Amino acid sequence: MKKWFLVLLLMGLVLHLGGMLPSEAAKELKVAVAGPFTGSAAAFGEMIERGAKLKADEINAAGGIHGMTLTLVFEDDAGKDGEASLVAERIATNREILAVVGHFNSACSLAGKPIYKRAGIVELSPGSTNVNVCKGSDWTFRNLYRDDFQGQFIAKYIKNVLPELQNVAVFFDNDDYGRGLADAFTAEAKAVGLNLVASEAYDRDNTDFKAQLTSIKAKNPDGIFISGLYGQAALIAKQAREAGITARFFGADGVDSPDFLKIAGPAAEGTYLTTPFLFGLGNEEAQVVADNFEAAYGVAPDTWAALSYDAVGMIAAAIEATYSKKAALKQNRKAIRDYLASLDTQEEGYKGITGLTYFDKNGDTLNKPAYVKIVKDGEFTAAPQQLLNLDALE
Amino acid sequence: MAQFLEQLINGLVLGGIYALIAVGYTMVYGIIQLINFAHGEIFMFGAYFSFVLVAVLQVPFWVALPICMLLCAGMGVAMDIIAYRPLRKAPRLSALITAIGMSLALQNLARIIWGARQRTFPEESIPVIFLSENAIPLPGGADLPYRDLFIILFAAVLMILLNRLIYLTKIGKAMRACAQNPVAANLMGIQTNRVIAVAFAIGSALGAVAGVMVGLREVIEPTMGYYKGVAAFAAAVLGGIGNVTGAMIGGLLIGLAEVLGAGYISSGYRLAIAYIIMIAVILIRPSGLFGKTTGTRA
Repeated sequence: MKKWFLVLLLMGLVLHLGGMLPSEAAKELKVAVAGPFTGSAAAFGEMIERGAKLKADEINAAGGIHGMTLTLVFEDDAGKDGEASLVAERIATNREILAVVGHFNSACSLAGKPIYKRAGIVELSPGSTNVNVCKGSDWTFRNLYRDDFQGQFIAKYIKNVLPELQNVAVFFDNDDYGRGLADAFTAEAKAVGLNLVASEAYDRDNTDFKAQLTSIKAKNPDGIFISGLYGQAALIAKQAREAGITARFFGADGVDSPDFLKIAGPAAEGTYLTTPFLFGLGNEEAQVVADNFEAAYGVAPDTWAALSYDAVGMIAAAIEATYSKKAALKQNRKAIRDYLASLDTQEEGYKGITGLTYFDKNGDTLNKPAYVKIVKDGEFTAAPQQLLNLDALE
Repeated sequence: MAQFLEQLINGLVLGGIYALIAVGYTMVYGIIQLINFAHGEIFMFGAYFSFVLVAVLQVPFWVALPICMLLCAGMGVAMDIIAYRPLRKAPRLSALITAIGMSLALQNLARIIWGARQRTFPEESIPVIFLSENAIPLPGGADLPYRDLFIILFAAVLMILLNRLIYLTKIGKAMRACAQNPVAANLMGIQTNRVIAVAFAIGSALGAVAGVMVGLREVIEPTMGYYKGVAAFAAAVLGGIGNVTGAMIGGLLIGLAEVLGAGYISSGYRLAIAYIIMIAVILIRPSGLFGKTTGTRA
């Protein structure tokens, strides 16, 4: 009995050591995709997983990268920063993983940042918009806009497109994403001359918002900017209507999920959202991807599927350009970073379905516009008025 | 004034829900000194049961509510028999760790069965009187939705019934006897295990009611038991854990403190305010508002 156990143990050890040899890794190239596959942002996670998988499948169907298969390793951070640290640690110490697509939630990207930096592995986020996500680390990138831009944009949009809304309120999720976005909105709202009548916070785990909504209602705002994620935003919209609030709702990319419509029901009607990408306004290639996505999964892709699709594409392009079988893991990881960092001008940028992506010295993408969606008859549609050229305004 | 009235209603509804959950913690603790961390999950299952019955199987709401209570009561008793009864003589810490394990297991079970996404009742499956637009207008422009009124009244009625049960019936007497001294109670011919099972059943049935109410008002998700459970546990501690009246009052106080704190002090510190009040009370009266001050039984 004991002898058998020892034999098994030895066998396990040999297999384990075998897995660490570089020759084993030569058949596949592994990239981690870290996101909220469970928890209160699970609907985002599903889209990220599918978008990323679609791109990897396309690459592999076309012969892979240098004849090797691109394998995605999905790691669930549940949308929580504590969980994200554990995931980041696991990824960083996995000697087969070359780069990370993720995390999605800003708090998670921030939690992973020091760990990825120390390990020297790229973190390319398809969803984190908090201003600080890419600051202070050469290893962190993102392929969408930042909250300072998004928050300002919403305030400008209200001012320029909906002049009948004078008094606005902010109701924000008390985390990195919600607070950062609310701050940017608040500053710009004041700058363009909107009246900010109320500013209330909520906790992500909460599901009863009546207390704050009653306070907001007393201030009688014309518009409420809900700075948070779709699940809470949907409940807020619903409970606000129940409390007799008639104001128009605004949300940012965190609200951009079909689950917002499902949970909020009729209360979602008329809500304006900003989003980094709209398939309806995308190029031909985007339409092809949308069709393929729908054929594969039976649902239409959303913004996050598109950004994840592009993020995997960028990492794949970086691996294609730099990967060397002979090089050590550390060098291969570094080469991916250097490649991404070199995409710093319009000419060098990566052409994906969400448009051109290129980075500033932080790793931020500053050129991408915000699109505006509106909920009409229970569906998201492109708002009749877009403000794609903000600089032309003032 | 209208605003204050509305906040008061918000607080009473939340407090009523906390009270219903807190009773489950306190009844079990009173008899076997076990903090049943999985109680929040029973509450969550109550919400899911009602969702399945009403939204999927099309059972009328008023039939579904007692079925949910029965199902959860059964679940509570089963949990006691499977997880806690074998540990009755083991060190208290073993049972406590088992309770945490139960909580995690049930939460993940719900995630496997129903998925991680949030669910709400379809509007057409909710009784018409519970739709939010049906409300009693109060002076000053505030509204009292029938649904909220029902939650407050129903919670109050259940609490009074429970109180009567504990002080006027034979099983109530047996419960009080077990709480005082289980060994002596057993020697007097009281079947302790049966009494404990009844405590689990009643606590779980009340938790189910809270789950259905929260499902109606808010949203149903696998993690809902944690957030509400922790607050309700704080309520039980505030009231003096082991004391049923204390749990009711504690629930109301925490609910009111949370809502009024968020409404008038700072919404960012919503639960923190409620917990600060709890800590302050515990500092002054370590056994809670209604707890016995004679120290805990060994």
